[in-house]
Amino acid sequence: MPLNPAFDAALLGRYDRPGPRYTSYPTSPQFSMDFDERALREAVRESNGDPIPRLLSIYVHVPFCQSPCFFCGCNRIITRDPYRADAYLARLHREIALSAAMFDRDREVVQLHFGGGTPNFLSTTQLRDVVDALRRQFRFSSRSDNDVSIELDPRWMSPDDVRALADIGFNRASLGVQDFDPAVQAAVNRHQSAEETLGIIDACRRYGLRSINVDLIYGLPKQSRDGFAATLEKVLAARPDRLAVYSYAHLPDLFKPQQRIDAADLPSPETKLMLLQLAIDKLGSAGYTYIGMDHFALPDDDLALAQARGSLHRNFMGYTTHADTDLVGLGVSAISHIGASFSQNPRDLSTWQAAIDEGHLPVVRGVRLSEDDQLRADLIQQLMCQGEIPVSALERRYAIAFGDYFRDALVRLRPLIDDGLVRVDADRIVATSQGRLLLRNIAMCFDRYLDRPGIPLKFSRAI
Amino acid sequence: MFPRTDARTVADDGDTLHFCSTCAFSQACLSEGMDKQELLDLHVLVEHVGPLHANDHVFRKGDPFDAIAAVRAGTVKTYVVDREGHERVLGFHLPGEVIGLDAIDGNAYPCNAIALDIVTLCRFSFPRMAELAARAPGLQQHLFRLLSRDIGAAMRMAGDWSADQRMAAFLLGLSQRLATRGFSARRFQLTMARTDIGNYLRLAPETVSRVLKRFQDDGLIVIDRREVDLTDVGRLQALAAPILQN
Repeated sequence: MPLNPAFDAALLGRYDRPGPRYTSYPTSPQFSMDFDERALREAVRESNGDPIPRLLSIYVHVPFCQSPCFFCGCNRIITRDPYRADAYLARLHREIALSAAMFDRDREVVQLHFGGGTPNFLSTTQLRDVVDALRRQFRFSSRSDNDVSIELDPRWMSPDDVRALADIGFNRASLGVQDFDPAVQAAVNRHQSAEETLGIIDACRRYGLRSINVDLIYGLPKQSRDGFAATLEKVLAARPDRLAVYSYAHLPDLFKPQQRIDAADLPSPETKLMLLQLAIDKLGSAGYTYIGMDHFALPDDDLALAQARGSLHRNFMGYTTHADTDLVGLGVSAISHIGASFSQNPRDLSTWQAAIDEGHLPVVRGVRLSEDDQLRADLIQQLMCQGEIPVSALERRYAIAFGDYFRDALVRLRPLIDDGLVRVDADRIVATSQGRLLLRNIAMCFDRYLDRPGIPLKFSRAI
Repeated sequence: MFPRTDARTVADDGDTLHFCSTCAFSQACLSEGMDKQELLDLHVLVEHVGPLHANDHVFRKGDPFDAIAAVRAGTVKTYVVDREGHERVLGFHLPGEVIGLDAIDGNAYPCNAIALDIVTLCRFSFPRMAELAARAPGLQQHLFRLLSRDIGAAMRMAGDWSADQRMAAFLLGLSQRLATRGFSARRFQLTMARTDIGNYLRLAPETVSRVLKRFQDDGLIVIDRREVDLTDVGRLQALAAPILQN
C-alpha cells in the first residue's frame, strides 16, 4: 500500500522540470507515420489471436466546446453551432462500424468513456444514439463493475440531462471545475458558479451514478491561497468520490488558447507549490487517499480499494480498476492501445473525416512496442499505480537480471536515492513519501527515449 | 536480442563441424557414427533457409516434393483447405521437428506449411537423404519413427474427448516436445493464434479461451498474453491421461 505524499517545497522545486506524464510508454513523440491502417488491422488480428484475448475499453472523443477556456491544452473546436455535431456523428457512426468489425465477437467491453472537448456538447439523444450503436456492434459485458463514464461541463446542462444520462447507462461522471474564484474564472474565460456545479453533482447522486470525480487545477492566473482554499472547501463539502488536482502547464507556443493568458498573472513557482500543498493538506484531512499522478479518492472508492489490493491500472483515460484492456479510441485525435501497439487518429477534423469518407480506419501514426518497450511500459505502469517497481517480479516475467539490464537507469536513479525520493529494497524499488509527488521524475530514469541530458521542452513540468 | 526471446526461440547454431542444438537428425546420425563432416562429404546436408516471417509459406500444397525440412527456430503450421474453403490445421512444428514427411509417398506436398513467427529451417534434399538412409539403417528407422509420431499425434486428437481433455493433452504435448529440445517444459509461448489451436483441437476459438480461463482460475496454468506457465502439471496429466494413454 503506497504512502501518502510528503510535501517538501525545496525538494519539489528542485525536481520541477519538464517530463512526460506517461499516459503511454513510449510517449506520443515516439509515434511514427509509418504506423498505418494495415499495421492497426494487424495489431487487432494479433490481439484476437491471444489465448485469452484482452477485454476492451472504448474511448470516444467529442471535440466541440461552446466556449474557449484559455488554459486548455486539449484538442477541441470552439463552436455554438449544434449542426456541426451532426456531421461529426455521421462519421463517428461509420468509424464505430469499421472498428467493431475487426474484433472477435467474444471480446467484451468493460469500460466506455466519453471525453473532450465537451461530451455534453452533444444532446442526450445524440449520446444515446452513439452508446446504442456501440452496444449493438461491440459486445458489452454484463459484469456489475463496468464503467460507463462521461466528462461533463456543468455550465451547459441541466439536472434533467443527468436523468437522461443515467437512463442511457452512464454510471460515472467527471466534472470540470478548476477554480470557483471569480478572478481566476475571468482570467481563464470560464465563468461557472458553485451553485450550478453542485446542482449537477446532486443530480448525479439522485439518479444513481456510482462515482463522481471533480477536476481542479492549480497554477492558474490570478490564483491565490484564499481563493483556492475557498474552492477546495466548497468542493469538499460536496464530497466527490474522486478528485483530480492538475498542475497548469503554461506552454503557449504549443497550445494556442494559452496565448490569451497574461503570463504576468501566473502565480510564482513558490505560490504554485503552496497551492499544491494546500490541496494535499485539505484533501488529506478530509480523508482522501492519494492515488498518484494528481489523483485522489475516498478510501472506499474503487480506485483506492484496487490500489490497496495491488490491482490498479492506468491508461489514456486515467486510473482504472480494469486490468490491461485493449483500448479502442474513436473520434478525432483519439488514441488506441491494441496489443503491443499505440496508434492515433488525425488531430484535425478534415483529415479524420476524409479517411472515414473513403472507408478507411482513420489512423495516422503510432508505434509497435518492442519487447524492451513492453518491459519499460510495465515498469512505469507499476510505478504510477503502486508507487513501486517490483524488481523480482519483472526479472521473472521478462527473464532479465534487473541490475544488469537497467545499469544506466540505476545510475540516473542514484541522485533520487540520495535525495530520499526512492528506496532500494532487495526485491523492489519503492517511491518514498517524498517521492510520491515526483513519480514521473522516477519514471524518466527508465525512459530510453528521453534526450539526455537536456530534455526537450515539449513536455509540461513535473509540478 | 531481448533476453526472453533469446531463451525461448533461438537454438544454438552449429558450425561446419557441430550440429545445431535443435537438429532433428543429429542424434540419429551420430548414433550411426556419422559426424557432420562426413555428411558434408556425402553432399547430403544442409541448406539453411530463412528467416521466414509470420505468414510466409514454407511450401504450398501441390508444390513438387524434393526436400524435407527441419525447424531450427520458430513454429510452422501445416494445414489444408477443404472443398468448402475451410482451413483444417494438421499440426504445429516446433524447433527440432520435421515437416514434409507426409509427402514421401508422392511427388508433391499434400499440404501447406506456413511460418507463425520468425522461422529458420534446414532443408534436406530428399533423394539424397533417401540414398543416405539406405546406407544407414539407423537414420532410416529415425525417419520412420518421425513419420509414425506425426500420424500418432493426429490419431490421438481424433477421439471423442472433452474440450478440457484435448486442451490439457495439447499443452502437455507442447511442453514435452519443447523440453526434448532443451527449452523450458513449464513456461513457453503459444505462438499459434487461438483460432489455429481451436481448429486443431476441433473447438470454437471462444471455447479455447473459456477452457484456458477455467484452467487459469483453477490454478492449473497462468497465461500472460501468449505465454503460458504450467503451474500444476500433475492435474493437467490427470486430465489428459485418457488421451495420452490411448
